Amino acid sequence: MYQYSTEDSKFLVERVDQFEKQLKRHLAGDLDDAKFRSLRLRNGLYMELHAHMLRVAIPYGTLSSEQLRSLANVADKYDRGFGHFTTRQNIQFNWIELPEIANLLRELSDAGLHAIQTSGKATRNITADPLSGLTEGEIEDARPYCELIRRWFNLHPEFSWLPGKFKIAINGAKLDETALRIHDLGLRLVRNGKGQLGFSVFVGGGLGAAAMIAAETASFIQVEDILSYLESTMRIYNLKGRRDHQKKLRIKFLVRELGAEEFSRLVDEDWQQTRNDSKLKLNLVELEQLKKDFALPIRPIGLVGFKEKVDFNYSIWKKNNVRRHKVDGFSIVNISLTKLGAAPGDATSEQMRQLADLAETYSSGELRTTKRQTIVFPYVRKDQVYNLWRSLEKYGLASPHQGTLAQIVACPGRDYCDLAKAVSIPIATRVQERFNDMKKLLDIGDLNINISGCENSCAHHHIADIGLLGMQKNGEEYYQITLAGETLYETVIGKKLGPSVSGENIVDAVETIVNVFLKHRQNQERFTDVFKRIGIAPFKEKVYG
Amino acid sequence: MGEACQIESILNKDYESVDLVSFQEWIENIEKLSKLSVGVIIAPSDDVFLIKDYLDSLELIVLDFNNFDDGRGYSQAYLLRKRWQFLGEVIGINAHLDQLQFMIRSGVTSYVLLDSYIGLNEEDYANGFSICYQEAANNSGLQQKY
Repeated sequence: MYQYSTEDSKFLVERVDQFEKQLKRHLAGDLDDAKFRSLRLRNGLYMELHAHMLRVAIPYGTLSSEQLRSLANVADKYDRGFGHFTTRQNIQFNWIELPEIANLLRELSDAGLHAIQTSGKATRNITADPLSGLTEGEIEDARPYCELIRRWFNLHPEFSWLPGKFKIAINGAKLDETALRIHDLGLRLVRNGKGQLGFSVFVGGGLGAAAMIAAETASFIQVEDILSYLESTMRIYNLKGRRDHQKKLRIKFLVRELGAEEFSRLVDEDWQQTRNDSKLKLNLVELEQLKKDFALPIRPIGLVGFKEKVDFNYSIWKKNNVRRHKVDGFSIVNISLTKLGAAPGDATSEQMRQLADLAETYSSGELRTTKRQTIVFPYVRKDQVYNLWRSLEKYGLASPHQGTLAQIVACPGRDYCDLAKAVSIPIATRVQERFNDMKKLLDIGDLNINISGCENSCAHHHIADIGLLGMQKNGEEYYQITLAGETLYETVIGKKLGPSVSGENIVDAVETIVNVFLKHRQNQERFTDVFKRIGIAPFKEKVYG
Repeated sequence: MGEACQIESILNKDYESVDLVSFQEWIENIEKLSKLSVGVIIAPSDDVFLIKDYLDSLELIVLDFNNFDDGRGYSQAYLLRKRWQFLGEVIGINAHLDQLQFMIRSGVTSYVLLDSYIGLNEEDYANGFSICYQEAANNSGLQQKY
């Protein structure tokens, strides 16, 4: 597995040292709230409703067992024994004491982990496909590119004080597990007619109050030219992005106001000045080294005479949690952390250690995190999947929910977040209670429900089959419903169903929507297929009729 | 034309006394001012491209970093120093201690800190790191990994 070099580790320590000095100045009254806010956010630190929240990056969603143990230790030592895996391949700790932050960050840096640029108006951790390198038909494992681009924007002198936050996603696979076109900037690995490798570039996507799908600004940028192209894109945004209106800071508003064509033209004009600058070329020697570092630690194996165990519960779990691997003899195993009443994505330190141990035994000591807040074991031998399941059962981690409606994505909501307008987790719990029959869940199949407590859309409700957005109406909690959003095959923003529904009635509305889907479903149609075929009217009629 | 403000001995001995004019004044009086060897003060919202063709006639350029969260000055510095190879000083005024590293690497050649930072160790912040991960206008003294 790829690990930071000595100089990278030194850099992480230097960054902590610097932040510690800033924190001391702030605590001594020598650094005002506004400036400290700007600095602490760039180190992942939020002031939340009850305490301080720290967001730690999980670059390209890949963790080693050792790193997960470090996170478990942090959860015990500095938090209340748990962490929260987010929808953007980060982990958050919610109960951090300000004076302890530097020690915490130092411990993380020992494990090659950091919280640099996980927040604030800078370039954030890159979203990568959690199945990078594992699936058939992939152009290439995107992670070496993620790492080179991560380095490039790490404390970039010109682009560390942008108009708004900046999220990048990179995908090299056939299906888009990264939802790249809802990012500020999405890169898709492609090959051109000559077989050369490059990127299609999409700019200006985002969710929030004005959800937009990113426009393609370049259909093919050669791999070695990507940094100069990114630099030009960021420069146009830095110079021309809206800074005068709090709600229009993101690049999507600039792209919308200029028009995608004009935006692309400006980027291209800037890029012509730098595209031949040798110092801005992607370092291909380093790229080759990274490809070796990220190479899969497994080789095909023939499992002669292997017979899968016959066990009803195992079969159900396997159907929903195990995916085909491109390497013969191996499987990809998804582990759901969802538990009734607990925040989706929450894991206790004990669970983290159990997962770390299991990953060592069954998955070459590597884990991945996903935007559905689950954990992936990327390298499980087919003849060991059953044993893994037994262990997961023992630890209460064999929830068969993954791939069913009960695997709900929800933000922390008003219970924890001072931005939220309504609760999220209690709604998720009530939906799970309503659909607690495994037979029915299997019948419904893979149907995504995402619940965001406010327009910031941390739970990505716009791209779910059923999206719920919390809001306030006359002092009461209401939820706006959107239907049939998706990103895997194509990017579609969910359509608003109608007037928002009260917290009291929202679970009934969800059930009604699911029933309309089941009534109209033909063969193996997905929710979005049915929606495209029958339109919004039948759903509207039943929910509001 | 308004009265040009004078700023003495900003940092560099070569510029003991240079008349400074605002960007607006410069744009409105290019013909006259380009013969007088003045310096121009550029605000983050000013379009730096408008002085691109007159850089030879400017003694120095001042960028204002007063607004902590407004990062346009870094791109202005890059364009002036790196792309257009402006040879005079690019001076960052109203500078913040915690942003010196970004200013210097973007192309600012000297700076004037805000008064509130007096007494703090500038070196700690101007040279807080041993390594840099990207090409920039000024990476001197840093190990380069890119």
